[in-house]
Amino acid sequence: MKKILLIVLIAFSFSGCEKDDICDEATSTTPKITIEFFSISAPLTSISVVNLRAKVTTIAESVVFDASLPSTNPLRFLSNAKKVSLPLNTFTDNTIYELTLNSGNIATQNTDVVTFNYSKNTVFVSRACGYKITFDLTNTNSNLLTTDTNNWIKDITITKPNIENENETHIKIYF
Amino acid sequence: MKHILKYTFSVLILLVSFNVNSQETGLKDSITTKKDSVVPKKERFGIRFGVDLFKLTRSFYEKEYRGIELVGDFKLTRRHYIAVELGNENKTVDDDRINFTTQGTYIKAGFDFNAYENWLGMENMIYVGLRYGVSSFSQQRNSYEIYNRDSYFGVAPEIIDGEKFSGLSAQWIEVVAGFKAEVYKNIYLGISLRVNRLMSNKKPENFDNLYIPGFNRTYNGDFGVGFNYTVSYFLPLYKTTIKAKEKKK
Repeated sequence: MKKILLIVLIAFSFSGCEKDDICDEATSTTPKITIEFFSISAPLTSISVVNLRAKVTTIAESVVFDASLPSTNPLRFLSNAKKVSLPLNTFTDNTIYELTLNSGNIATQNTDVVTFNYSKNTVFVSRACGYKITFDLTNTNSNLLTTDTNNWIKDITITKPNIENENETHIKIYF
Repeated sequence: MKHILKYTFSVLILLVSFNVNSQETGLKDSITTKKDSVVPKKERFGIRFGVDLFKLTRSFYEKEYRGIELVGDFKLTRRHYIAVELGNENKTVDDDRINFTTQGTYIKAGFDFNAYENWLGMENMIYVGLRYGVSSFSQQRNSYEIYNRDSYFGVAPEIIDGEKFSGLSAQWIEVVAGFKAEVYKNIYLGISLRVNRLMSNKKPENFDNLYIPGFNRTYNGDFGVGFNYTVSYFLPLYKTTIKAKEKKK
């Protein structure tokens, strides 16, 4: 008799957790493209960029690198890291980024245009997260960078063309 | 919370009906047993069949749900019953990021063990049981959303889909615990709670069986829960006399 009551109680406790449908932060969803920076003179160790700003040609605002800063602070759009992650457009099959080094310093700032071409896959994640999009870069190393008279990017290579999570480096930029 | 209240209320009703019943017949029994305490027990055997009231009523008040479950059991020995549930469900689930419709038929078969020591002439049950469930169904993905933590390119709109995945199936084991009480001559009300564990699950490609007819909602693991609230009719087929075992000692 006690056993039966116990089973009933357990069953009731189960039915209580119907609405725990929140997409966990740890779950891998639509990934960004991860770019790591290297020195062209010592290409084995990654180095930090200086005041890098990333912006898509057709969008007025730049990508936010530090969302913890207030929206009026221009530093939130600048990165000084060895690695940055940039969102890719899930509505089209390419994303064209303007990457500006030394942004804000009129004397030294330099903008290079990098184009990512890709195909997209829609992948089921879970009840709470729905679906995600993963990308397969269809670029070759040679058509990533648009050459101009003064490129700050000396070399750019694809290390992993299939972009499924953000914990790995997909692109290496040497400068 | 609404559901829990509903369940609790049903359990209460059932418990009350139990009480009323046992008092009435209990009194009669005590009178008859006073005359002769070694009266041989006569037990009725037969088939009981009924319907799940919960699924039936839910079909009326919930637009997104159509379902029916027929239940039946056959008294095999004094304490053991063969039990079967047969059902059909059509349910549309609207989750935050996915809306889908599951449609299918299931059968569960197994046995119940009555742990309740009845007074003479009574046939109530407090039972535990086991079932093996098999379900054949289809899933239609009505709409879904792409989850993107970044909104630089704007928030992705809901994608209207309508793709149907047919020929899906699942099998599971179910542990049952419940009551059945005779509320009127040969009419029984019953309530049972079930804990399920999936044994096999044929999932659609690039989607999941988030709901399985008979098994109900699936969680991240293999476990699920179920519930039914039945009214059934007992059709007596034959009687046997059971010797009072206590007297032999």
